[in-house]
Formats: sequence, structure tokens, C-alpha cells
Amino acid sequence: MHGRVKLKSTAQQEEEKKKEREKKLKVYKAARDACFSKRKEGTMDVEALQLTQQLLSSNPDFATLWNYRREILLHQETVRAEEEVQKVYEEELSFLEGCLKVNPKSYGSWHHRGWVSSRIPGPTGAESWACATAAWRWTTETELQFTDRLIGSNFSNYSSWHYRSTLLPLLHPQAHERDPPSPSTHSHSVCEEQLLKEYELVQNAFFTDPNDQSAWFYYRWLLGRAEREEMISCVYVSREGERLIVAFSRPVNALSVGLLLVVDGQPLNVDWRSAHPRFRHSPVWICELPPGTISDSSNEHNLTVHWTQRHIHRDCALYTGRSESWCRDSATDQELFRSDLSVEKTSVLQSELQSCTQLLELEPQNKWCVLTIVLLMRALDPLGYERETLAHFETLKDVDSMRSSYYSDLCSKFMIENTILKMEYAEVRVFSLSGKKLTTLCHLDQLLLVTHINISSNQLQTLPPQFAMLQCLEVLEADDNVIESLYGLYHLPRLEEVSLKNNQISRISDLKPLTTCPKLTRLDLRGNPVTQTANLQSELAQLLPSVTDLLL
Amino acid sequence: MGTQVKDVVLKPDAPNTLLLDKHADYIAAYGSKKDDYEYTLSEYLRMSGIYWGLTVMDLMGQLHRMNREEITTFIRACQHECGGVSASIGHDPHLLYTLSAVQILSLYNDLSVIDVNKVVEYVKGLQQEDGSFAGDKWGEIDTRFSFCAVATLALLGKLDAINVDRAVEFVLSCMNFDGGFGCRPGSESHAGQIYCCTGFLSITGQLHQVNADLLGWWLCERQLPSGGLNGRPEKLPDVCYSWWVLASLKIIGRIHWIDKSKLRSFILACQDEETGGFADRPGDMVDPFHTLFGIAGLSLLGDEQIKAVNPVFCMPEDVLQRIGLHPEILN
Ligand SMILES: [Zn+2]
Repeated sequence: MHGRVKLKSTAQQEEEKKKEREKKLKVYKAARDACFSKRKEGTMDVEALQLTQQLLSSNPDFATLWNYRREILLHQETVRAEEEVQKVYEEELSFLEGCLKVNPKSYGSWHHRGWVSSRIPGPTGAESWACATAAWRWTTETELQFTDRLIGSNFSNYSSWHYRSTLLPLLHPQAHERDPPSPSTHSHSVCEEQLLKEYELVQNAFFTDPNDQSAWFYYRWLLGRAEREEMISCVYVSREGERLIVAFSRPVNALSVGLLLVVDGQPLNVDWRSAHPRFRHSPVWICELPPGTISDSSNEHNLTVHWTQRHIHRDCALYTGRSESWCRDSATDQELFRSDLSVEKTSVLQSELQSCTQLLELEPQNKWCVLTIVLLMRALDPLGYERETLAHFETLKDVDSMRSSYYSDLCSKFMIENTILKMEYAEVRVFSLSGKKLTTLCHLDQLLLVTHINISSNQLQTLPPQFAMLQCLEVLEADDNVIESLYGLYHLPRLEEVSLKNNQISRISDLKPLTTCPKLTRLDLRGNPVTQTANLQSELAQLLPSVTDLLL
Repeated sequence: MGTQVKDVVLKPDAPNTLLLDKHADYIAAYGSKKDDYEYTLSEYLRMSGIYWGLTVMDLMGQLHRMNREEITTFIRACQHECGGVSASIGHDPHLLYTLSAVQILSLYNDLSVIDVNKVVEYVKGLQQEDGSFAGDKWGEIDTRFSFCAVATLALLGKLDAINVDRAVEFVLSCMNFDGGFGCRPGSESHAGQIYCCTGFLSITGQLHQVNADLLGWWLCERQLPSGGLNGRPEKLPDVCYSWWVLASLKIIGRIHWIDKSKLRSFILACQDEETGGFADRPGDMVDPFHTLFGIAGLSLLGDEQIKAVNPVFCMPEDVLQRIGLHPEILN
């Protein structure tokens, strides 16, 4: 079905072909029927092996015939001497080699080959690992040298780089890892010394051929950060509404992880809900405490959230007279958005950046090189390189316009990360990121404590359900975007003011999520298509009775 | 040494409009060529062939042109004592064809044709200790079969018959450095496998485990200057890979990362103006497999002449609505 070119042919040629096909069909059907009837009779002889061989040579995907062959071979094991059996299997292997040469992608042939190898008592022939779908190899030091050679002889071999990525964490695991590493765990972490050698190897590869995408993919992996440890990153408590919010470092299903809440030494039974009903797994979970638990402001309360499955807990104290309290690790404490290399080794990244900058001078249009420079800058100093990063993104959108939406989203992500860092350094609860061409919102779980957000003058189309994680939000400014939907303005208990001037909200029903925000008093919808709706004022008065300051 | 980008060039006279009637005629006629050599050679995958043909006809609103009676009788004859379904009569049962049969009967809203409880037992029996699934009793392990297993059971409303947690663990163990998935732990990423694994994680509600930004980047880098998508770096573009990549991007909420109009042009150029149907690449021979994935791809790209397709099950959305299945899609 693949790669068969359609050829123009004359009527006479067609006629000849048709005859030839009819003949082939007859032979094929006769062989197939003979196989099927032999199998039905339970015949397990050599002739059946020959018949199936004939059919499989031309049609190796005929899985049932491989099954029949296995049945015959198993039978032969019971009736022949051991040396004879060995010979039968060796013949089977050489038959398979022929099949795989003709049709290297046949799953059936590869599986049969694996099966045959498992039946042979002695050592088997050399494995051809080139076919990735069938490669089951022992991971040894020799293997890594093997990929060294492969990459040395042909730098543009994605399979070799892939294979290297599976071997490295096994051979050079990061020292502090407690569990023995295995390719089945997510943490592909590699010890630092080997990591530095890898930088060099891969750099050789892309200097040799700057358009070899395989090497660049691998390089990005090397630059990646380790997975964050699973933990409770924040506990927040509000006296008003008697609400408690827990944030996790990764999305979890709080209903199934064994979460236990203890208030003033007493375990409490509470109902956890995710920030938005669309999420079964979420980094942010909310619960309402039984009335009266913490409402008396003249008392201090101590709350602890236990993650029993992980033996982790986090405490949070609500002092006398305070209306809210929290306990958490900030984004800066966690080095969320930087490389996981140690500080001493950042000099290596610095020289990597220099090399890539040199390469870019030779190849100014090379998108792989530009993107890698951006990633290196982020690993080194995300805030210091912000201006250059933005300029590089403009280049990327220009030279690789097919993927401009990808670059816009990635740039948005980096700008949001930077703004979170700035906010953390300033120790404020205001997130302001206007006029930065944002096309997407992410890391919203990091904005749990934010009270004021300004994302005006961007290119946002939606306030996604994740926006509902901004549980402390009081004022939202999102003017001059292209926002059509407000799913994320959902159960925000403190939200008072929403400004959505000059967006694309067109139906009254689009405003429905706001009905779940009880404190909303000010809503600015000027410059939206919805303002053309008849009787809007009265409809909205009914839909959003708490809003006293409505601007249309 | 420089890397040559492997790609095709679209000819200026390549088809650029959707030839729906021709495609419907092509599929309707395909099943009548039963004495054709090529047709006979593909008997080993007949059940899937029927699923491709019926699904594409349903997407084009032409399902009524297929012979329902003949097809359901055939499916009944292909269910074995063990509960599994084979590609054709005389062939052995396999998960691949069991899923195809269940998909066909879901299109027809007629699951009573086969013994559903036995199907569930069959699928359940193929799960291994490590959570993976064998394709049949001969034990080949592949994440494709994990997808077949959960898709089959989800369509039957019996997902709880297997150990879902273990199954998820196995699929996640096949995740690679590039965010993609291979057929077994340590195997290289491949668009077909990524489709199966993201589809699997969607059905089991575990998409948060995917590194969507990293995987989405790898996937959108499959688009070549011709607009077509390939299945792995440095391979040629292909209509079927275009579907697998596109559907995966849709599942992880990143479909806007490719150039939709260029992909549409590529897919349209793979039509055969004379015979109808789609080929893998412009100028090649057409077949029902690429015809389905061509049409389904255009549907995901928003073509309004075609019914909306579900990216996980590759079946019309209205069928899944009727069954009440809403596989997870990231926003
Ligand atoms: Zn194809």
C-alpha cells in the first residue's frame, strides 16, 4: 500500500497484466486453500512448512500462516532429535532473513524471528538492531560505543540518538538517585560529567551538519530539566468562606491519593474538588471546612495536609486576627524554570552558547540553531536574556513560518515564566504581562496567590479552565485581546472587577461562567460584539445580579 | 555532508478540490472486486479493510451504500470460540481485528451480532503481568495492542474488566526522550505508535502524564515544506502519517502548531481524479486505508462537507455521542 507509483499503460498492456494476475491468483488461492485444509486436518509435516513458506515469501503479513508454522515447529520438537530440531530452527532463521530483506517492516516476520530465537537452545545469529521495532538488546558499555560508531559514521541517524538516550541513564545515572534506574522510569537523568561529554559529541554532530534535526532534538533533551519531585507545593487557607486550597507540584487526583486534613490536631472529613470540573487530575484542589472550624478570628489554628501515600505533609498556621495564610515553596526556591546543572558547570553552558552563536553567524537562517540559543539563554539567565530571546523568536517565526503558532506559544510560556520570577523576587501578588503578544496562558497553578492580574493587549482567544486556579483573584484586566470564551472565570470567590474591553465575546451565554463568582460587582464589556444584543442591560441584570457597575 | 530534506513537490495541476462523489464510488465498488489478485492478497486484514471502508463512507454520509447484511453475517462468522475475531474466515483471531469488528458494529449500532461477553473475556485474557497486551495467544507485545484493548472495551462499556492502572504504567514506560512513544520500552518514537499511546491515555483519562509541549514540538516538526507530514524524522510525507500526527496533536491540544492550509493542499493532491480514492503520496496507487485517513484528516482540519471525526477512535463523532463516549482531549 505504500510507495506504489501509478503507471500509465496501454489497453494491451492492461490486458496482459490482467491475465498474469489471474494466473497468479489461481496459484495463490490453491496454495492458501491447501494450507488451510492441511491445518484443519491437523497435519504438521514438512510439506506444510514448504507451502506456508511459499505463501509467506510473497505475503509476510499473513499472520495466521506464521501461527501455523509455529504449531508445526512445536510439533517437530516433540518428534525429532535435538540436533535435528536445532537445524530446523536455523533454517527457519535463514528463511526469515530472506523475508526481512524483502519486507523489513513486517511485524509478523520480526515477531516470528523473536519466537524462533527463544526456542533455539544454542546461541543465535547476530542481532540486527537497525530495525528499532524489533530491537531487544542488552544494555552494556559496548552498546554505547556501538552508537558512538554509528553516530560517527552517519550523524543524521535519529535511531542512534534515540538509542543513546535510552542507554545513558542506565550507564551513567545521576548519583543521588535512590532507586536503581531503568528505562521505564521517567527520570532520564544522567550524571553531570557524562552530560558534559554528551554536549561535546552532539555539538560535533551539528557543526558537521547544521540541518541534521536528529542532533538538535537530542541536544534539547540534554538541556531539559529533571522532572519535579512530587510534593505539596502550597497550602493556603482563608478564614472567609473557611476554604483550604492545596497545590501539588504535578497534576494529581486528590480523591485517590489518600489526602488527610488535620485541623488543630483533629482529622477532618472534607470533600475535595479540583479547580474546574473538567479536570480529574489537577495541581490545585479546594475544600470547604465544616462551618465554624476556623471562623473565630480570635483564635489561632494549625492545619496540616498529609499526603499519606507519599508520606509527605505540609503545615500551615492561621494566626489570630489574620484573614488568610499560606505555606509554600516559591518558583524561585524551586528553580522551576532553569537548568538543573550545578552552578559551577554553567560555564560550560556559557561556552555552548558561544559555539552556537558562532554557528549562527555562518548559518543565519538555521532555525535549529536559533531555537537552541534561546534554550541555552533560558538555562543560563532567563531574565537577563529576555530582550534577545524575544528578538530570536521573531526570527524563528520568520524563517519557519509553518510553525509560527508553535513559536508564539513557546514564547508566551517563557514570558509567563519570567513574569512569575519577577513577581516572586518582588514578593508581590500582582501579575502583570501586557502587550507581549501572548497567545496562550500556562503555569496558572503558580498564580494561586495572585490578587491582581493584567494580561491586556495580547492575542489571547480564551480564558481556559485552568484560569480557575487563580483562587485569590480580585481584579482581572484582559482588555484588547481576542477572547471569545471565559470558561476559567469559574468559582473565583474573591473576584470583584473584570475588564474585558475590546474582545470577541459575542453571546450572553458566553458570560455564564461569571454567575459562579459571587463577589463580582464591576464588569466592563465595551467594544465586544455582545454589546449589540437587544435588551442586554436587563438580561445581564438578571444573569449577574451582583454586578452594580456594568459598562457596555 | 548536508542533510537533504526528503519530500515531494506538489504539481501545479494536482487536484485542489475535494472529489467526494468519486471517493464514495471508489469505496462502494471496492468490495465488489472479490476475485481480484490484490484484494485476495489483503485477506489477512479484511476486517480492518471493512472498517476503513465503512468509516470513510459514514464520514461522507454514504454508509447506506454498503451491504450491511453481508458484513454483519461475515463478522459473526469471524468470531471464534475464544471470543476473539479474525480478519477473515479461516484466519486466527487477533486484537487488531477484534477492535475493527467492534468498531464496525458500533457504526451499525448492532453489537448483538457477536457475543460481547466473550470479546471482553478475550481482551482480558491477553493482558500480561506487566500491564501490557499481547496481540493474540502467540504473545507479541506492542503498545498498539494496548490501544486496541482499551478502545475495544471502551466501545463495549467494559473498561473496568482489565487492570487499567497496570496498563497505563506499561504505556508510560514506553515514553521516550523526545516525548513520543515506541512499541515497547526502549523502542524509538513513531507517529503511529504515538497515536496509539496518546489515544490510550485519552481513553484512560491519563493525558496529564504526557509532556504535551515536548511531544507537540516533535509532532509539528513532522510537517515538511510540501505540507505533508512524515512519521519519523527524515522520512517521506504520507497521508496516513498525516492522520496519525494530526490526530495526536488534536488529542494533546496542539493542532494549531502545524500549517493547516498547507496540509490540506497536500492531502487533496493525493486524490486520484480518475478512479477516486487517496494514495499515500501524489501520483501513487490509491487504497481504502489512505482514503479513510485522507478524509478523516480533512475532517480534523475542519472541512464542513465531511462529518466531524473523533481523533481517538477514528469514528464519526455522532456515533460516539450515541454511545456516550467522551474521550479526554487537552485544551
Ligand atoms: Zn501511508
